[in-house]
Amino acid sequence: MARKIKQEHLQELSDAVLDMDEERTVKAAHEALDEHIDPYEAIQGGLSDGMARAGQLFEDEEYFIPELLMCSDAMYAGLDVLKPHLKQVGESRGTVVIGVIEGDTHDIGKNMVRIMFETGGFKVIDLGRDVPPQRFVDTAREEKADIIALSTLMTTTMEGMGTVVRLLDEADIRDGIKVMVGGGPISPGFAKRIGADGYAVNAAEAVKVARELVA
Amino acid sequence: MTIQEKVSAPAMSPLERFAAYNKGEAIDRLPCVPIIGNTAARVIGVKVSQFRGNGHLIADAQIAAYRRFGYDVIRVFTDLYTLAEAMGAGVHYPEDETAYLESPAISSIDHIERLRPADPLKDGNLPQHLEAMQRVVKALGKEVPVTGALTCPFTTASFLIGAENLVRLTIKNPEAVHLLCRVALESAIRYAEAIIDAGCTPSLTDPMSSSTVISPRLFREFSLPYLKRLIEFIHLNGKSVTLHICGKTEKVWEAMADAGADCISIDNDASLSGARESVGHRLRIMGNVKPSEIMLQGTPADVRRAVFDCVAQAWDSPKGYIIASGCSLPTETPFANIQAMMDAAREIGWPVAPEKLTQ
Repeated sequence: MARKIKQEHLQELSDAVLDMDEERTVKAAHEALDEHIDPYEAIQGGLSDGMARAGQLFEDEEYFIPELLMCSDAMYAGLDVLKPHLKQVGESRGTVVIGVIEGDTHDIGKNMVRIMFETGGFKVIDLGRDVPPQRFVDTAREEKADIIALSTLMTTTMEGMGTVVRLLDEADIRDGIKVMVGGGPISPGFAKRIGADGYAVNAAEAVKVARELVA
Repeated sequence: MTIQEKVSAPAMSPLERFAAYNKGEAIDRLPCVPIIGNTAARVIGVKVSQFRGNGHLIADAQIAAYRRFGYDVIRVFTDLYTLAEAMGAGVHYPEDETAYLESPAISSIDHIERLRPADPLKDGNLPQHLEAMQRVVKALGKEVPVTGALTCPFTTASFLIGAENLVRLTIKNPEAVHLLCRVALESAIRYAEAIIDAGCTPSLTDPMSSSTVISPRLFREFSLPYLKRLIEFIHLNGKSVTLHICGKTEKVWEAMADAGADCISIDNDASLSGARESVGHRLRIMGNVKPSEIMLQGTPADVRRAVFDCVAQAWDSPKGYIIASGCSLPTETPFANIQAMMDAAREIGWPVAPEKLTQ
């Protein structure tokens, strides 16, 4: 019986996120706590599961950016309820430093990728947009990051991604850090040319690529 | 004119070429448009930021770029933000790169009453862009179509309130999105009228309406009605309309045709042969050599191959086909690659021999 109730609560959390329903997600999160469901499990099996399903619909072109953003709003609202009750933080898959390269302020794509990373179990440090290459390197070193994820929508700024790779080389920390790139003008060929370790065409794929990179 | 004379006649002017092509008469080659915006600054050796507020310089650069490459449409364009800027959005102008949006005109829908339709003769940099258009028309209007870029309502709405805000509102508060699109449409119609008064044709661009961003369902709700009214207005003024949308567009091609577009410009996330199949009987198609991967980063040989491939996919599209880049060219696109695009169009010539295209 208990198992069934738990399953139902996790399902409701997941469905509420998928249905972009912030209020319902918050309500479901409170109910899960009332039923003494482990908050960590509620996040993983409920909220994250809903985002993963949303990511799949995004890949299938049933959901688009507005839907994915609304799902993430619901997911974060649920997270705000559950997080204070977490006894221990679950094992992180790794630390990602993410940002939009200097000279570019388009950050919807980057925000999507951040959301998918966070729900995919990564610790994410978001440097925002218009970020100088050196800051990626400094932050990655300070935070012992596993991945640097770079985004740009503009061809004028894509060379800045190559600069990050070069600076990592110069700082002699290239080996421990995987670099992944994405954004409108970026192609797999470009990623290869600048020496990046990974390329993803969209946010849903980015988290898969990241998992492979740190596996 | 004898056949002999015809063969040795000089190349057609772009206007002659389009006139003949539209009538189904013989042409010397397919129309070809590497879409040149800020790359024009490189042609006359100035910094991109010098274009700001300087219609004279934009005109000089566009005229010089056309004279250098001899493509078939001039498009006066520096960035997507001119209309939103004229309505209060903050635009950042880096010294030598394309401008970008710094801050939307309003931060919340509560402030929507602060928005006023732009006055093209007074607001922002619109007067300077109109001056550029007038100057280009005066210099070259008798030989080549001159167009002025016009950002469409849904995209301008995203610059007025911020893209993330707008896409959330599409679900949370659809009526607010319609209010934003309405005021953006009013600005667009006024600017379209001014562009036409300048002797130009408005050239429509609507990147936020891409299926890379919003669903085809939201396109029909928030993009289509405003595109329709804008295009209707332009048609009433006797001009035909080219509509460019970046990214994925396959699922909205029919809607783009329903909006009234006479020609759609599609980028490399969309398939030319697919477009020919599904809407080629309703409108002309242009595209879609990859602006970044091929035009910016490729070699002239890559460009030639890409042009041949595009032509193979779409040359026989019922309402016609224009060789073009998939989107505006990156500023630093090598001249050799632009030249290679034109050379490939001339090499293919007319009539197109399909068996030669796959070599």
